[in-house]
This record gives sequence, C-alpha cells and structure tokens, in this order.
Amino acid sequence: MSATSIIAIQNVSKRFPGVVALKDVSFDVRDGELHSICGENGAGKSTLMKILSGVTTDYEGEILLKGSPVKFRGTREAENAGISIIHQELNLVEQLSASANIFLGREKKTRFGLLDDRAMDAAAEELLTELECHVSPRALAGSLRVGDQQLVEIAKALSLDAEIVIMDEPTSALTESEVERLYRVIDRLRQRGVTILYISHKMDEVFRLSDRITVFRDGALVKTVEREKTNRTEITHLMVGREIESVDFGKPRESGDVVLEVEDLSLPWPGHARAWRLKDVSFKLRRGEVLGIAGLMGAGRTELLECLFGASSVRPSGRIVLNGKQVNFRHPAEAKRAGIGLVTEDRKRLGMFAQMTVGENITMCTLSETLSVGLISPSRESKMAGDMVDQLSIKTAGTSSRITSLSGGNQQKCIIGRWLLTKPEVLLLDDPTRGVDVGAKAELYLLMDKLCRDGIAIILTSSELPELLTVCDRILVLSEGHLTGEFSREEATEQKIMEAATLVET
Amino acid sequence: MSELLQKHRNELGLLFAICIVAAITATFSSAYHSPDGIKRTSQMILRESAMVGIFALGAAIVIIAGGIDLSSGSLIAFSGTLFFSFIIMFVPDDMATRWSSDPEKHFPDTENIAAYVTMLALACTLGIALLVGSFHTWLITVLKLPPFVATLASLVGLRSLARLMIQDINETQYGLRQSTITIGDETLTSIARDNWWVPCLIWIVLCIAMWVLLSRTTIGRHIYAMGGNEEASRLSGIRTVRLKWLAYCISSVTAALSGVLFACYIGTVNPASDGMGYELNAIAAAVVGGCSLTGGVGTVAGVILGTVFLRLVIDSVAKLFKSQPDMFEGSVVGILVILAVALNEIRGEGGWKKRFFPGALGLLNVGILTVLAGVLAAVTSTEGKMRNGLVVGVTVLVLLSTKAVMELRSELNKAEE
Repeated sequence: MSATSIIAIQNVSKRFPGVVALKDVSFDVRDGELHSICGENGAGKSTLMKILSGVTTDYEGEILLKGSPVKFRGTREAENAGISIIHQELNLVEQLSASANIFLGREKKTRFGLLDDRAMDAAAEELLTELECHVSPRALAGSLRVGDQQLVEIAKALSLDAEIVIMDEPTSALTESEVERLYRVIDRLRQRGVTILYISHKMDEVFRLSDRITVFRDGALVKTVEREKTNRTEITHLMVGREIESVDFGKPRESGDVVLEVEDLSLPWPGHARAWRLKDVSFKLRRGEVLGIAGLMGAGRTELLECLFGASSVRPSGRIVLNGKQVNFRHPAEAKRAGIGLVTEDRKRLGMFAQMTVGENITMCTLSETLSVGLISPSRESKMAGDMVDQLSIKTAGTSSRITSLSGGNQQKCIIGRWLLTKPEVLLLDDPTRGVDVGAKAELYLLMDKLCRDGIAIILTSSELPELLTVCDRILVLSEGHLTGEFSREEATEQKIMEAATLVET
Repeated sequence: MSELLQKHRNELGLLFAICIVAAITATFSSAYHSPDGIKRTSQMILRESAMVGIFALGAAIVIIAGGIDLSSGSLIAFSGTLFFSFIIMFVPDDMATRWSSDPEKHFPDTENIAAYVTMLALACTLGIALLVGSFHTWLITVLKLPPFVATLASLVGLRSLARLMIQDINETQYGLRQSTITIGDETLTSIARDNWWVPCLIWIVLCIAMWVLLSRTTIGRHIYAMGGNEEASRLSGIRTVRLKWLAYCISSVTAALSGVLFACYIGTVNPASDGMGYELNAIAAAVVGGCSLTGGVGTVAGVILGTVFLRLVIDSVAKLFKSQPDMFEGSVVGILVILAVALNEIRGEGGWKKRFFPGALGLLNVGILTVLAGVLAAVTSTEGKMRNGLVVGVTVLVLLSTKAVMELRSELNKAEE
C-alpha cells in the first residue's frame, strides 16, 4: 500500500440550523486504499461524503486533493476531479434506460450531433458485463432491482474514470448474493487502483474489506485505525460511545389484551412484477407492547403501517380488527378518530410543517379541542402545546419558535406529541429515530417505554436492528411483502432477523 | 416589539412603500392639489382596489392552499354575462316595445328592475360560480390535473363559452345575434359608479371574513398546513379534498362577485373583452402581498396592502406621465411582481452579496436591462423620447456594468486566495 494521501480533509465543519452535523474533522485518505467510515445514523458520515462529492458546497475548512486545495461547486466538478459517489438513495432517472443513465450529461453523439444510442448501449453493455450485471442496457432504470440499479451507478462511475469512489451504505438494500457480487466488483475496482471510501455501520463488511477504518460519532471524528490493529468490539464501542444497552427500562413491561388484529392483509402493487407490496400478513398487537417490524428497504414496512392507517394509495384486502370491531379506513382522518396515530418515516417530507411554529405543529391534529364559539382560542392552544413541550421535555425557546430551529430529535418529539394529544390506543412509529442523534434516541426509547406502560400499543419499524432488539417485545420480519419471521424478545438476534429478512419466498 | 416587527416585516414594508408612492404622486401631480381632487382620486383608487381586491382574496386563498387559480379573468366575463342574462330572462316584457319580425313578442324591460330579480340573478350567478369551483376541485383532486392546467382550461374555455351563450340569449330575448348586453337600470349602474362605497364595503366585509377564516379557525390553519405540506397534512388526518374545494370555490365566487360589480359599473357586458388578464392582477396582488407560490405562506393584511399598492402605483404612473392607466398596467404589474418576489428570494438566500450577473447569461442580462430601461424611459416621456431613452439606457448600462465588473473582480480575488 502506498502511503501518499490522495485526499486530505482539514478542519471541516458543517452547521445546519439547530444542529452541528460535522465538527472540525481532519483525516487523510491514502492512494488506492479502501477506507471505511463507520458511525451510527446521524454521526456525520453522509454529510462529509456530500461535501467530498460536491453535493454540499457550503462548509468550513479545507479539502486537499492530491496536495492541492479544492472546493467543488457541484457534483460535476467533483466528477471531473475524479470523485464519484454511489448514494444510499440511488440517483438514477427512472424513466431513462440504464445506458442513458450511465452517460447522462456526457452523451455520445454521432457526426451530426445527434445522440448515438448504439454506441452508448454497446459501451454500457461492456461496463455492465464487467460488473457481472446481466441486464439489458436498454432496460429502464426504474424497472431494475435495487442491486442492479446500484451497479448501473457504479458503471457510471467507471465510465467517468473515477479515481475515488464513495459508497454510501451500498449493501443496505441488497440480497446476500448481490452483496457477494458487490464485493467482487469492489475487488475489481481496487485492482484498477481506485480508492474507495466505504460508508457502513455493518462490522462484517467493514472488517472484510477495509485497509483502514475511521469512526464518527455525533459529527466528530473519534479515531482512525488500521484494520489489523483493531477488532469489532473496539469499533462498535467507538461508534456507539453511549451504549444502546445503557437505556434502562426498569422492570419488564406486561402486555394486556389484544387491541389490533390483522388477518391476511394484502396490498396490491399494480403494474409491478411483484404484483403485491404486501401478501397475506397476519399478526396481533396487544396493549402495552412494542411490536417491531424489521425488513430491508422495500420489504413493505412503511406500506404495512400505511394500510393500518388508511393512508395507502391502493386499498388493501384482508381484515383489520381494532378493539373487536372490523375497520376499513378510507382516509387517515377515520383512523385518527378510531384511535390510531402514525408518526411518519420521512419527517421533513411527510411529517413536519416547516413554515409553522413548534406550537402549530403540535396542535395540528387536535385544534378543534381549543375552539371557543367556533374560533381557535390562542390561549388554550398555547397551553395545549406548552403542556406537551413540558411533558416530552422538548428543547425549544418557546412554542412560537419555528420548528425548523429545533434539532432532529426534538422535531420528532413534536410530531409524537401531536399524536399523543389525540389520545391514541395504537401508535405507529415509522423509523422514528432516523436522523436523530444518539442521546435523543435514548430519550425516545424511554418515551416509548413510558407510553406502553400507560397502555398504548406501539408498532415500531426501524432500519437499525439493535434498536428493535432494545425496544421491542416482539419482532416481525418482512421480506418482499411476506411475513417471514416472528421472534419474541428473548429469541431474537440480529443473525436470525437478517436471515428472515433476506428470505425470498417464491 | 422587535419580534412583532420581524413577523409583519412584509406588511410594514408595503405600508411604507404605499406612503412613499402616495407622497411622490401628491407632490408632482395636479390631481392631488385640491381638496376635491384628493377626494376624487382616493375614491377612485379605493374603488378600483376593492374591485380587484375582492377576487385577489380568492386568488390568495388558493395560493396559500398550495394551488393556483388562473380562471378568474374569464370567470369575471362569464359571471357578468350570466348576471345580465339572468336579469333579461327574469324581468317581465316591456309591453311598449315590439319585436320587429314578430310584433306579438316584446323586449325585456331593463329600465326599472325589481329588487327580487337582481337578487335572484345574483344568487344564480354565484351558484354557478360555486359549480365552477367544484368542477376545478374535481379536475384537480380526482383527475389529478395540475391546478395550473385545470384552471388554464377554464381561463380559455369560460370566455369562449360566455361569447357563445350571449348570442343565443340575445336571439331568444331580442331576436338579434349580438355579443353584448346593456342594462339601463339606474340602481344597478350606480353601484360602483356614484355609490363607490358599495364595492368597498363588500371588500371590507370579505376581508374580515377571510381574516377570521384563515387565522382563527381550524379550517384556516389546515389550509396553511395543506399549502405547506400536502402529504403531511393528509397523514395528519386532514381532509385535503374538502379544503381544496373550499379554496377553489371561494376563488370562483369572489371572482363572480367582482364580475357582477364590473358589469354594473360598465352597464354593458362584453365577454370578448371584460376582465381580460385580470387573473394575473389578482395573483400579482397576492404575490406582492407576500403569498408564496409554493404555498402555505401569506396573510390577508398582506394581500390587502398588495392590492392597494398595485392600484396606487398604476394610478400614479398614469398621473405622473399623463397617460392611460390601462396601457401601463401590464408593465407596472410585471415589474412589481419581479421586484417583490426577487426581494423575498434575496432576503432568503445569501443576501445582496451574491452574484447577480454571472457568466454569459449575466452579461446578456446587463444588456437586456439596459434596453428595457431605455425603452421604458422613452415610452413614458412626453417629449424628447429619443434623448431620454438614451440617457436612461446609458446610465443603467454604466451602473450595471460597474456592478458586473466588481462582482467579477471579487470572484477572481476569491479564486486567488
């Protein structure tokens, strides 16, 4: 391994309103190495990678590429400098073919200046074959499996002659065989001398692939170590810092009678090869328990919660029984009235009203309770919001502050508070700790525990298995819309859940 | 106190701008130099503001709800036509008149219309406006047309429909295929003319109602929420379809109300030209008043001030440059909308420090702004058009070029560092 550094990151910081995403980070990446970046969600990994790839242009500090300072003003500049990023959420234009995506913005042209599709398809085919991706270059990107889409992105990076490839949690949505294929592709890239920055929090991958490992926590760099000189326990410890296990729930919870029963729930997926987003899902939910739903991206976790909440765009079939009565919600308003609350997965897009205040966000679902002679009473409204802020100890300057001035964890508490005001019997939490820092996560876990003890039933989805293992009484596992496993708290392990989550029923 | 100032910055800014424009016009225009002149001018501005302001409120609520209603100009023509058509259909025949081809038939009597006829015609017109609003909501929420497309179709469609209908109605009632209807009743035509306070009163009542709706009711809060984040509000259990229906119906009904007032004011409806382009005046008033076209932002006070400001500037330009107000209307509205929205953008991102004339596009626009300023100066001058145009053009060119060169230099300096 050569010891010359290809990238030197010096004192880089990035602030968002209310949060410091990166604090004074400095480290080197050596030429030709595979450098893993580890850390929990929200540790600052992705922020740093966005800076390196020109997605984020506004930051403090300096970046040296092969010894000379660079400041990218866009992804195009970063690509020209030889840095390509494979995003966690893939960045393909779904309506265009694989080859059109690979050559997007650098299309090959004929003598007459028209698009030369034949040349592009041929070149794309060659690249894809090299990556063991056996799809037609003319297939629409949107019709490909996630693993193949990812290889299309990698093919694009190769076609750019990228010297540095950043992979942001590339295996998060892949099946086992696709992961193996990805490893082989990575080996091939390294033989070509490509430097790889590999972001992941999965220890297996990190220890299998890396030369060196850098650990982030809460936006700061904790340590950079050689792989040979460390072990998994050390890295996990550095990553978590404040251990997840440190959340102390006191005595175990006791669950009560069945409040929600789901039988043979199926959700059609019109126009898709799989035909069903969910197929024959059945389970029971008891008062005072946290039921976890595990599964990879696209397994149907969010869709399941949407069905229960009457929010799916297509009507599901099957039976949903709430408190002994069969229900068939056509609109979330009906689910809300029946005592179900949904804290959505993507807070910014589906949960928060960004231009409104903390108070307005909290009282959104229960405004009608503040009415006097048909008009909103500002004093009652601010009391309602203020009580919730106190109850959940939301850190805010006041209920009239903009919600965007709060940190992610506190924003999430506001939205949970919104639903608690509706006095729900069943609370659906869709990946509620995403983008929330570690300390606030622990607070959310304790809050869930308290709510359960008050008799609320919670269904929790999460993309982080340790979180489910910490909080849930039972865990259901979904794979491609099928229920492929159910584990009690005692029998559940990461290994068992992952096996069930990657099980593909035919 | 400072928090209050910050919160109402937009409204206070507009109020300040209104005072400045009024002061300048009052100093230089003879229309303000006698007590009688001041009275007449302010009455006129108030009446015109009210006539536009009524449907600007409707345009604003749709914009706040996250949509857009482009149909109001045509709806004004359509509803004016309907209103007069209903009147001539409802009033009894005048026995003194004869239909030339059929002496047994008489013309409708529109000289002294009974109050119930007016009221019935008004109710029918507003009822049809409700149907138009409901139709828009159906197109948008069920057929999933973008609001822009749905209401654009009405914009072109309703006017044409009115022109087709008015001929048939005239034929049945008067035996003539003509494309206008004139009503001679003095009570009706005095509305908005001598009784200038009628539209103003309607406007004020609507403003108060709209303020209460938007800032003190659950529905209003939910409209802001829907405009800001439609999917989040649906997932909060808000019935977004009902809210959209309400917003588009308010927009249609206020436009129809304005249409009735315009018809009374002119005394004749001519669907080929009535209300032409008014939809953009309403949208402009809302946008200048601080409504964001992305939805979820805007206040009733802002919309009122935006309306008054636009009318005042149009009137002032006409007075100062001694010309027809309607000729200037488009230019004034265009410039003010760009300024208002650009000011908001500039406040939002990076402030005044950003580059205004980067690269080739920037240089090209230095030229475009130069020509634009020169042409505007020339057409607004009463004498020495060529000279004035050149002087203004060259001045603007010098100023903007200096700005562009300074920006380029600071950019180069930054690159050297």
